Amino acid sequence: MPKYYLLSSIVLLVFAASCSSSSNEQTFDSSKIVRASAIEVEKVVEDFILVEDGGIIDIPAGFYELETQLIIDNKTNITIKGAGMDQTFLSFKGLQSGGEGVKIVGNNIIIQDLSIEDAPGDGVKAQHSDGITFRRINVTWTNGDKSKNGTYAIYPVQCKNVMIDEVIASHSKDAGIYVGQSENIVVKNSLAFGNVAGIEIENSNNAEVFGNTARNNSGGILIFNLPGLPKSDGGSTRIYDNDVIENNHKNFATPMGEGPNGNTVTMIPPGSGIVLLAAKEVEIFNNRILRNKTFGVAIASYQITGFPDEAPNWSPYTSDIYLHDNQYDRSEGFPDLTRELGQLVSIYNAHGKAKTQDIIYDGIWDTTLSETIDTNPMRICISEPSMSELYFSRFALMNGDENIEAFKESIPFQNCKVEVLTKTDQLAGM
Amino acid sequence: MKKSNLFWTFNFLLGSGLIAFACQNEPQIVSIPILPLESEVADGDYPYKRLSTYGFFEGNVNKLQPTENVVIYKPASSLFTDYALKSRFVFFPEGTKAKLVSDDLEFPKGTVIIKNFYYPIDFREPEGERRIIETRLMVNSSTGWEAFPYIWDESQSDAVLKIVGGQTEVNFIDYSGKDQVVNYLIPNKNQCKSCHNIAEQMVPIGVKVKHLNNELDYGTGEMNQLMHWTSLEKLEGFEGEKAHPSMINYEDSSLPLDDRAMAYLDINCSHCHNAEGPASTSGLFLTYDQTDPMKLGINKTPVAAGIGAGKYKFDIAPGLADESIMTHRMNSTKVGVAMPELGRTTVHVEGVVLIRDWINSMKP
Repeated sequence: MPKYYLLSSIVLLVFAASCSSSSNEQTFDSSKIVRASAIEVEKVVEDFILVEDGGIIDIPAGFYELETQLIIDNKTNITIKGAGMDQTFLSFKGLQSGGEGVKIVGNNIIIQDLSIEDAPGDGVKAQHSDGITFRRINVTWTNGDKSKNGTYAIYPVQCKNVMIDEVIASHSKDAGIYVGQSENIVVKNSLAFGNVAGIEIENSNNAEVFGNTARNNSGGILIFNLPGLPKSDGGSTRIYDNDVIENNHKNFATPMGEGPNGNTVTMIPPGSGIVLLAAKEVEIFNNRILRNKTFGVAIASYQITGFPDEAPNWSPYTSDIYLHDNQYDRSEGFPDLTRELGQLVSIYNAHGKAKTQDIIYDGIWDTTLSETIDTNPMRICISEPSMSELYFSRFALMNGDENIEAFKESIPFQNCKVEVLTKTDQLAGM
Repeated sequence: MKKSNLFWTFNFLLGSGLIAFACQNEPQIVSIPILPLESEVADGDYPYKRLSTYGFFEGNVNKLQPTENVVIYKPASSLFTDYALKSRFVFFPEGTKAKLVSDDLEFPKGTVIIKNFYYPIDFREPEGERRIIETRLMVNSSTGWEAFPYIWDESQSDAVLKIVGGQTEVNFIDYSGKDQVVNYLIPNKNQCKSCHNIAEQMVPIGVKVKHLNNELDYGTGEMNQLMHWTSLEKLEGFEGEKAHPSMINYEDSSLPLDDRAMAYLDINCSHCHNAEGPASTSGLFLTYDQTDPMKLGINKTPVAAGIGAGKYKFDIAPGLADESIMTHRMNSTKVGVAMPELGRTTVHVEGVVLIRDWINSMKP
């Protein structure tokens, strides 16, 4: 991302930086839960190792302090079941090696009714699984110092048929609910808060995200496609009926005082509602996108990261987007100034310095398709009933850092629609 | 909602073994429980509870003297496991042999790969007194390879199957005469597959053609290992050293830096970091024959590195080892940052130097 130099914004910077809050809110209190004995802990480890196809792993109420990983190794039709999110706690604070607390590989696996705390890496990861359900699980970190928290709370990757239902994911240093390189996905009726990213769908196909609340993260809902991965690109996502509210948490993906690193999420400015990055075929409708201080929805191409943007079978452009019938509220304070995207909004938006934007579009397009963006070559379609009242900024970033401009004009992006097809009825029974 | 730290200081008496949980971040001392086991009959129904039941070793089991159908092997380059030394064997069922087909080794059912992890009391005398920590068996069963960890008792008389793994403090004197302490972690059974994994099937790592197609000193003279197996009638299909791939020993400083670095990454990383391994999610593929700069991590941004990325943008920033995620993660012992994720609680100083030199030798 180019550097946007600030002229006289030091005072503003101090003010704005103090606006990003940090939260340690916990949904359940595990401190009063009876500690499981060493024998009981060992039994859980053994159950994960010895379970056979069709088996049920019952984990009674208790606080289990694990020093090793819990791994389901290539099994079929397994249910892992606690006594409730407020009753069964698996704590990985003492884990001494391994990437994640719970790792699942298999087909038709259900994990439900328990809490996972303080895994050094990821809370629960499922990989190479067909049919994986996360239901009523709470995954969180209890460290006061959030820089010690793990990467993803709930992390299915390279999976097929993923159901995430009524979960709670909080305080992860990257995404709370992260679905990567997967297909056929439902994320519903879940809560993500206090994370850097609330819900993220990355390099995935055929996903529906609905009925969720993403609040008080740095970014609420992210749809990304990153280069150089085995599943090279993704598409077909519908995001609807979600509450994307007050995602103004500070971005703690890197330690205090350190800027972004190579993880794209480190660039997300606090105050981001929904972010599309190199996203393909996304429909966003009937969401309440409220009081996110930097912007409600950002439509961005990968070039904006400044990272190398060429990879096989992958496009850096965001294309085929249909944004309609959402509710916006930009009444929250001032845009972020700690991240370059926040600075871009603060300084260059089309409605006046330090104005929160409802919708921003980076205006980067594939010039082999059209000489001008006025033909809407990337098919970005915005059809908001309240459009005349919204702050929309389309930036012009392709003429160098010295020539950044922004335009209010949204006509080229209205009067069109994109049909995004998802098919998730096969997940109905999960 | 802070948990009481007091809890971490409670001690538990467990069976006949004493397990002490120390405060977090302090070395935990765990004496390995010696469970009173009934004597066991070698009835062919694996796994046995005791290592000695298999009859792999003659006389005192802890001498690790192989019996007739048990053959020593050593891969060209060695996976770093907290400086533990390893003695490795393959048990071939009576009258069976392995096949070498398209540069892959196919082992007969019932083959057992035996890997013993030990520390000399004093590394300056590696043949002197030692403590064997664990023995991992990989059994080629009717349903494929399966791993079983055995933990040695304190008297070093035998090792006992312990599928949940464990941990133990190891003290030794290093090559330079300094006292060292390692909090050695024994993986649980399912963690074995975090590394021994291709397309979610369990596979051996070191017992591959490229690792074994080289000379080993058998005490009676040096011989190519696959040739030796052939002469023992344990292998068919070997057509001479030149006819098959072979990897070098990264410790051999007379060899080109590029080759040594790739050998190091192959044996230490590529079991996960390959297109079919658990780290395929990352797009970072570190096999010996990798030539695609992006797959090697050159100017490649991370995907899910989390805190592992540190302050850095790229897995490898060419010419800038100190700004590369790869060296950052090799140089850390923090869970969540440290790579490899398993089998290492200390930094492999020599390995970091090798990869640093290699990255620094790249043109920015």
